[in-house]
Amino acid sequence: MMKQTDKLYLLDLRGEPCPYPVIFSLNTLGKLAKGSIVEVLADCPQSFISVPEEVVKAGYEMMEIPQKIGPTLRFLIKVPE
Amino acid sequence: MISLYKIYYLRIVENFWEQKSSVIALGVLSALYFGSVGVAWAVTGEFTRWGGHFLEIIGVDVSHYTYLKLINFAGSPLTRIDGVMVIGMFSGAFISALFGQNVKLRLPSGRRILQALLGGIIAGFGTRMAMGCNLAALFTGIPQFSFHTWLFTFGTIVGTFYGLKLSMHPLMMGEPKLVSVKTVGNMLQDRWYYRVQPYIGFLGLILFILYLLQKVSANYALNLLIATCFGFGFGFLIQKGQICFTSAFRDLWLIGRSKMTKALVWGMVVQTLITAVFLAQGMPPKVIWWAGPGALLGGALFGLGIVIAGGCETGWMYRSVEGQIQFWFVGIGNVIGATILILAWDSGIYTWLVEPFPRINLVTNFGYVGAIILTIAMLFSLYIWADWRQVSNQGIVVRRSKHDEANG
Repeated sequence: MMKQTDKLYLLDLRGEPCPYPVIFSLNTLGKLAKGSIVEVLADCPQSFISVPEEVVKAGYEMMEIPQKIGPTLRFLIKVPE
Repeated sequence: MISLYKIYYLRIVENFWEQKSSVIALGVLSALYFGSVGVAWAVTGEFTRWGGHFLEIIGVDVSHYTYLKLINFAGSPLTRIDGVMVIGMFSGAFISALFGQNVKLRLPSGRRILQALLGGIIAGFGTRMAMGCNLAALFTGIPQFSFHTWLFTFGTIVGTFYGLKLSMHPLMMGEPKLVSVKTVGNMLQDRWYYRVQPYIGFLGLILFILYLLQKVSANYALNLLIATCFGFGFGFLIQKGQICFTSAFRDLWLIGRSKMTKALVWGMVVQTLITAVFLAQGMPPKVIWWAGPGALLGGALFGLGIVIAGGCETGWMYRSVEGQIQFWFVGIGNVIGATILILAWDSGIYTWLVEPFPRINLVTNFGYVGAIILTIAMLFSLYIWADWRQVSNQGIVVRRSKHDEANG
């Protein structure tokens, strides 16, 4: 999936165990400008459930359903305008 | 037909299972395990015996350590119920991880390895001081109606709060890598060594069944055989459901996330009722230990340790076979911590923190009805507290709404 905007980021959390994927995702999203899009990569299996649920609860948008390719997880998250 | 097959195959074999159902299944399985082999589902006693074996190997005379006598240190992992159950758990968790294409060597930073070892030692020490971990002093202990498990649980809840505070210290946490990119969504590639994992899993399952059949034909002790099967089921379920006891309390403090806590409550309610039936039929209760500062302080150390380490005594088991190298160190830490406790038990811990305090069996004090009502009331309070933290949106991490308010 390709997105054309100048506020694109990659947050690579592969290798990080819980609870850091949730903490780092929320902390990072909190610092970014409105309209930013972040691709989060993680491979702690629990994050597959906790990260999408918690970012939505915190007011962000999941741009696609959580992807799982082999053991790696990918979340595409947008800071709402 | 093919799409139906695909849906059910994916749902049952490859995907994670819903947490609440998995925990309730674990509750039923734990109660039946107690009913069939007469012991509570527990793992740290066995880790402590591994520590005993290690002391023997390095030439220590272990015969005078009372703690080892207390936990029936004899034989080898292959001749003990807990021993074969733990082996079954590793097998079940590994096969489950293969089914879901979740096996990958994940290399942590040096910082995380230090955390794992340190947290593992603290948790391993605390849990044995309290005579059980998140299993025998919580998930399978509360349904046995021993009051010390309530103290342990309370200690754990407090301990996880301080563990989280420590884990979120900048020195422990570190900084994630955030980079500006031109495009997103094109980094991940499927690999053959992930796609073949479910097939290896099925092969593993067949080998496990053959192993059982071979043991049956060799007239292997029936209780060991049953324990191996239950262990396999426990391991499979905790991996498939990603049952993380650490997160049950940590995430309540962190973000007011209550799913796991509520699931645990349901699992324990179901288990309490089934266990009561077995107890009422005359089965001797298994984990009635001293309800004193040992349980409380042990719980607090356990809570502190598991959050720093990233996982508890069952969490490291399924994560280590997923290839999360950090959790190999949590396991090593647990065994080291438990071994230190063996050595320290006779030098004051038992005399001051454990022995003067009574073993309280709620059934003896309040009868079955009273004990069940009290237990369920306590679990329900835990549920309400968790739910309240969830709906009132409490947590330590900054949320967008609060962030925006702070910035005007």
